Amino acid sequence: MIRSLALAALLLASHAVAQTPRVVDIRKSLVRITTTSQEPDYKVPWNPGSISGGVGAGFVIDGGRILTNAHVVSNARFIVVEKEDDPQRYPALVQFVGHDCDLAVLHVLDKGFFQNTRPLVFGGIPAIESPVSVYGYPIGGERLSVTRGIISRIDFQTYTHSGIDSHLTVQLDAAINPGNSGGPVMQDGRVVGVAFQGYSGDVAQNVGYMIPTPVIRRFLKDIAGGHYDGYVDLSITYFKLLNPAERHALGLPDDEQGVLVSSVSSEGSSAGKLRQGDVLLSIDDHPIASDGFVQLDGERVDMSEIVERKFKGDPVKLEVLRDKMKLTVELQLKGNWPYLIQANHYDSPPRFVLFGGLVFQPLSKNFMDAYQVEDLRLRYFYNFFITDEIYREHPEVIVLSNILPDPVNAYLTDLRFQIVDEINSKKIRGLDDVARAFAEKSDYYVIRFVGSVRPAVLERSAVEQARNRIMGNYNVQNEQYVDGSVIR
Amino acid sequence: MKLLLIGFCVALGFVRLTLAEPEPTPKDERTPKEEPASQEQKSSVVRVNSTNQAFDFFRPWSKLAPFSRRGLGAVIDGGKILVTAELVANSNYIELEKSDGGEKSIATVDVIDYEANLATLRPTHPEFLENLQALQTTTDVKTGDTLSVLQMESNGTPVSTKALVTTVEVGRYAIEDSGYLMFRLSCPLQFRENSFTLPIVKDNKLAAFLMRYDSRSQTVDAIASPVIEHFLSAAAQVPYKGFPRAGIGFSPTRDPQLRRYLKLQDSDGGVYVNQVERNGPAAKAGIKEGDVLLAIDDKQVDPDGDYLHPIYGKLSITHLTTTEAYPGQKVVMTILRNGVREKISVELFRRSLSDYVVEPYSVGVPPRYYILGGLIFQELTRQYLREWGNNWLKDAPQRLVYYDRFQSELFPEKRKIVFLSQILPTRDTVGYEQISNLVVKKLNGQRILNLDQFAQAAAHPEEGYHKIEFEDDPHEIYLDANQVEQDAAQLQKIYSLPALQRL
Repeated sequence: MIRSLALAALLLASHAVAQTPRVVDIRKSLVRITTTSQEPDYKVPWNPGSISGGVGAGFVIDGGRILTNAHVVSNARFIVVEKEDDPQRYPALVQFVGHDCDLAVLHVLDKGFFQNTRPLVFGGIPAIESPVSVYGYPIGGERLSVTRGIISRIDFQTYTHSGIDSHLTVQLDAAINPGNSGGPVMQDGRVVGVAFQGYSGDVAQNVGYMIPTPVIRRFLKDIAGGHYDGYVDLSITYFKLLNPAERHALGLPDDEQGVLVSSVSSEGSSAGKLRQGDVLLSIDDHPIASDGFVQLDGERVDMSEIVERKFKGDPVKLEVLRDKMKLTVELQLKGNWPYLIQANHYDSPPRFVLFGGLVFQPLSKNFMDAYQVEDLRLRYFYNFFITDEIYREHPEVIVLSNILPDPVNAYLTDLRFQIVDEINSKKIRGLDDVARAFAEKSDYYVIRFVGSVRPAVLERSAVEQARNRIMGNYNVQNEQYVDGSVIR
Repeated sequence: MKLLLIGFCVALGFVRLTLAEPEPTPKDERTPKEEPASQEQKSSVVRVNSTNQAFDFFRPWSKLAPFSRRGLGAVIDGGKILVTAELVANSNYIELEKSDGGEKSIATVDVIDYEANLATLRPTHPEFLENLQALQTTTDVKTGDTLSVLQMESNGTPVSTKALVTTVEVGRYAIEDSGYLMFRLSCPLQFRENSFTLPIVKDNKLAAFLMRYDSRSQTVDAIASPVIEHFLSAAAQVPYKGFPRAGIGFSPTRDPQLRRYLKLQDSDGGVYVNQVERNGPAAKAGIKEGDVLLAIDDKQVDPDGDYLHPIYGKLSITHLTTTEAYPGQKVVMTILRNGVREKISVELFRRSLSDYVVEPYSVGVPPRYYILGGLIFQELTRQYLREWGNNWLKDAPQRLVYYDRFQSELFPEKRKIVFLSQILPTRDTVGYEQISNLVVKKLNGQRILNLDQFAQAAAHPEEGYHKIEFEDDPHEIYLDANQVEQDAAQLQKIYSLPALQRL
């Protein structure tokens, strides 16, 4: 089961028989990956989660490694890889994973696996209309499958695995189906992309996407340091300067150059360097057109492509018009954590605190997806977390997410989905604060919420009496899990 | 994208949202509970036909298609007819029709209160009411009583249907924010080509007015006679002062842990005040969030916020401050603050629509707008958000929905929300096509707290440009002030706009 690939797509007739020389070559490089994964349940955060299996593809690259999609191996508990022409199954481990670019590198413990394999090499960005072949293990059978098509479009697209990152993406019209994920897309004997997502047949026909080599190379370079830092970002929003009056008012000539900085994230690379109202004229000496595009390697691409290829700590140089004066701004790139609240999270159990049958959880995309919250305040906190810089006061938005009914909380049910502001007069800025506040001895625990909402009052004696009863009744193994990765 | 959306949205008027209209049933299937109306009943009801036309909040210079509503009005003292406000909301033309003979007269709205959902009408010819009998009201209605809902056949014959009073409670009227005393009745009603605005009588006295009917559960929500009496007595004075409110939100104190923490005795009762409306009566008197309200005058408040009414039994204290009292009247609230009892005198008053940041209803008043170079600016109203359809809480722009819902918490000052609703594309708006529903912070450097301020600031462009600042991306845009002025007449002509502003 390949999660981000559309499942409803019908398998198109493949040109599949392994006869052409190219397919014989690929048999030395293609890997079938079978993953057993465990999806955490954000509604029952103490449960280890439901177990499911899935099949994807991968391929051997230099250094005795296997490249595949992050979504093929996310939340994996056990991974097995197989080669064509070898009946043995080899356990594998995730060495590096980039959820923001949907790529992962696996290593196989048994080095014998790589005998008789041939690492594939990477090509460039294929030309529009040029033919490519896609290899993998899509639904419709057990064995290797190949489909062919041409390059349809090169554009920025959202990577559905994280749900929030967009990077350069290449669209092709070869059939790509669940199970193709992680498989190589080949042209002239080189990898030009990794097949990773598409639309179901009832939305669009013959629309599949691959991760192109600039994104792959960036990932491989990033992990070369032994750690995946991930993408960096200017962390600004900009507005295209297409309106003549606006251009004149800002002191710009009619040269179709420059975009307006409309917001600057106070946690991002540009904080203190750029201001709302600045006009960006060039980036690393590439002039920025009024629609935000730059010329790069002979192609017009979105200006973010310049930053896309950079790494944590790399400098970027911007030419800026501020208050009608030109100046040069240099900044060091880093990530922008607040946006991660709206990204899918993997490989880390949900964090929570249970106290008196009240479940407290930090707000996240996984949380919102699990609970399908309709509460207007909570939806605002989620949707405007970045734009209204809610993270300044609430780096983690702590929600009373659930109430396990028990006499201790019999009158609190209407407080579900309220956002915790204070516990015993201590400001709550994260789940750790919640755990700490409840760990302190106090006769009463007074939980105050954001807005004009009555407080919840719990007596320590009542909570202590209820503790074993609640944990027994609701099969709770742990009262809290606060160690996991914090979105930051 | 947004413009497309607008094309699909059918405006839902305030009236239509609150009415559950059942499937019409054949007229001759008379249920055993129906009987011909008595002579007294016959001579005190008239049919009211109202042609209503609401404003189009997406095109604030236009009105939507007119539609008709029919209901029954009750003849009352003073040569007036009592109906629900919904029946005649946004009315262009009101016609009265007698049960016998179908004699007609034109009528006008005398007093209307959308919150209490009541209105009085006055026939243009007073002699129209000459041989009709005014209905008196009765508040003597108890759970278990049988009342009669009056209807009229299409030929004019009045029909009466028995209805059992099942509940007496404070409930939501036509507007979300207002709750008043309501009689809930169980009653099988047939749909008789009029909408459900029907008088309900007890012993030939007006006991209630039907405002909602659910055909599946066969239940009626009716405006209770104490509310009618309050309305009529307020309507007898000029200016109409309406219903007051205390301006607090409260929650129960049943939770024993909360009671011990608040040091409440079991005998105390009391509710926890979790919200105090800014500049509302309670706030002015010094009531604070966190106070426990123990009593209003001599009425003890129980932990659910009810008191004991001599006729209706347990009833929400809201009834005391909205219906039993009149604007200008004082009530004494006994509160517990930090374990100490205090008595605070609160002068109740009505919250006028202009006191809301986002007006919860907009009926009969044309929406204000100001068009600058093809950009349409409006003051936010809930009616605007409602134009997104039944699912408006999810479908309407989320910042605007949030501002509406939490307006009393978010805005300390008296203000309106001015926002760019949409764009009529012109050469002035090139590059701005994608922006819509953005809240305005400033125009030409001036902070904007209402549309009048916006219009004033629009008279003072800076260095030849209008600079408009928003709360969201793109945060600032510019218009060429001279060009906007030159293009104004053309803009009006191309889009057939009757005027570029209505303030």
